Amino acid sequence: MSGYEHFKYSTDREAYSAARVHALEALLVKKGVITGSTVDQVLKYFKTEMGPFNGAKIVARAWVDPSFKMRLLKDANAAIAEMKFPPGMSGAEGEHLKIVENTPTVHNLIVCTLCSCYPWPTLGLPPYWFKDPTFRARAVREPRAVLKEFGLVIDPAVEIKVWDSSAQIRWSVLPERPEGTAGMSESQLAAIVTPESMMGVGKIKVA
Amino acid sequence: MQTQFEHFAATSMLGRKDSPPRCDGELFFEDSWEGRAFGIAIALSKKGHYEWEDFRQQLITSIGEWESSHALDDPSWNYYQRWLLALERVMLEINLIDSVELEQQLAELITQDTFY
Repeated sequence: MSGYEHFKYSTDREAYSAARVHALEALLVKKGVITGSTVDQVLKYFKTEMGPFNGAKIVARAWVDPSFKMRLLKDANAAIAEMKFPPGMSGAEGEHLKIVENTPTVHNLIVCTLCSCYPWPTLGLPPYWFKDPTFRARAVREPRAVLKEFGLVIDPAVEIKVWDSSAQIRWSVLPERPEGTAGMSESQLAAIVTPESMMGVGKIKVA
Repeated sequence: MQTQFEHFAATSMLGRKDSPPRCDGELFFEDSWEGRAFGIAIALSKKGHYEWEDFRQQLITSIGEWESSHALDDPSWNYYQRWLLALERVMLEINLIDSVELEQQLAELITQDTFY
């Protein structure tokens, strides 16, 4: 059915895939299932409404408001509902979000070993390496070594917990608030939160 | 040849933060067809043609097939090729399209020399 086996080289497979996707889209438009602009609208939505900028606001709020942080760790979706994000935040892989907190004794790393489940509304789409078979397999087996390759050396005394996202639960990390941020506003704090820190593959640095 | 993950690890160790095509939450598609395949899958789910979970299960299957027949660091890995295969399968399964009309459409495009 796929026909991929006829294409020996990766460039052929790329061109073949491109043609195939184009054919699928053209066929759906022809059949009236979607319009010519549907896919562009979807992509625009993901670009402008769903992304790690949402996750960063949630982290910053948790840093400045201890009671929000408590609610967030207990029931992330309910707490996030307080924040007046654009509609749709709870759909498209945003359901069943759970947030785990990094502490001086625990470092959390998220992965999805089966496919690439990821909290799109708060983190956007997963980066390409998150989907890589090598990362997905190794993150569970040897998280400390994988983190080191990301440039993140975790003290041997700190426990590393790996959270495997699934259809039931999508994990996200609440990173530690870094030193030297005492005087910063919530929006200034949000600006320093990185997607990597919310996946557990990076620490937040203050310039 | 490096896998994409190793490439990320290497470039971040070299301190070139802008090297990984992450771009602060911007979309990560390496080629425009990947984005189209992504958008079609979302749009059809949003319009109620299938449950997202059904697509996800097809994706898990198509990724699993690749992983069981390749070394994990095989450089021919392409996530969106697995995604596209899953998308085609779910569309065929719910009879949204049939394979004959898809092949016809593909042949038509190739004849028009749109891609080659």
